[in-house]
Amino acid sequence: MIARRTALKTVLAAPLVAGVSRADARDYASAGEVIAEIDRLEGELDARLARLAATFPAAASFARSVRADHERHRRARGALRRRLRVAEPPPVPVPAGGASVDALRALAQDLVHAHAEGLPALRDAQAVDTLARHMVDDARHLAVLQMWLETEQPGG
Amino acid sequence: MGESRRAFLLATARAAGVSAPVLGLLAGREAAARSEGRDLEILSAALLLEHHAIALYGHGLKRSLFPPGLRAYATEFRGDHQGHRDTQIAIIEERGAAAPAARDDYDFGHAPAGDAFVRLALEIEIAAQRAYTGLISAIRTDDYLLSAAFILVDEVRHMTVWQRVLGLRIY
Repeated sequence: MIARRTALKTVLAAPLVAGVSRADARDYASAGEVIAEIDRLEGELDARLARLAATFPAAASFARSVRADHERHRRARGALRRRLRVAEPPPVPVPAGGASVDALRALAQDLVHAHAEGLPALRDAQAVDTLARHMVDDARHLAVLQMWLETEQPGG
Repeated sequence: MGESRRAFLLATARAAGVSAPVLGLLAGREAAARSEGRDLEILSAALLLEHHAIALYGHGLKRSLFPPGLRAYATEFRGDHQGHRDTQIAIIEERGAAAPAARDDYDFGHAPAGDAFVRLALEIEIAAQRAYTGLISAIRTDDYLLSAAFILVDEVRHMTVWQRVLGLRIY
């Protein structure tokens, strides 16, 4: 664990992950747990983003783009599940919740962290490659939301 | 990866001083066998890209080549790269190896000012993002895999901000 602490201590100096302490970093036990958490967060983000888009038309094209990326990711995760013989859990209902840009940013950050922290639990190079590429898309979405917060308006 | 994108990535990695085995990995010529030695090769390559980025941002900030309204981003991103550099060095040294130093012959003498310089910063961010994305599945150790993932997230943020600044499509 010394190596992991050293690595995290240094990398957590970066602004994006400043809110994460070593104690907060989640240790996933299996690929199934990682994929289930990504499914949950992704579904919630899509639903809340759709609510934001209904309020702010300027957010609609972003919401469509994110949803298209996530549909592609879901198909790839489905293939991963089959290859890794991971059972699909029952769908989780999306909780009611705020659709403010800040709430979306927090959710998008959780989704990115689930990918990052989940990679070591996958134990499969192809799965790491797939979810890392998804994480790149999700990190881009997160960056867009962060920029919206800086300009205080969707599409800004 | 398309040929032009691969050529761009290889050219940037070569300019940063990345070693032949990792260039082979990035070019898709070598199988991504996972081993402690391969981790060290990837760490060294990533560190050289971080050195290159720090030097470019440092040059741009020192010579005021970034547009005035973007200096805060440039300063923040240089700080991120310095954090990434320190992470890579700590991991390399923890494994008992010597971390490669920054080159002393970076040549940014003809770097233009303004948006053209932002474009240079974008190019190194794109190269770093592609390198980390391409190499991450070859990493064997959990600690380094986790660190590389968080570093990759930062690179994507940098890339997306510069693309937005330059009016390029981000979604």
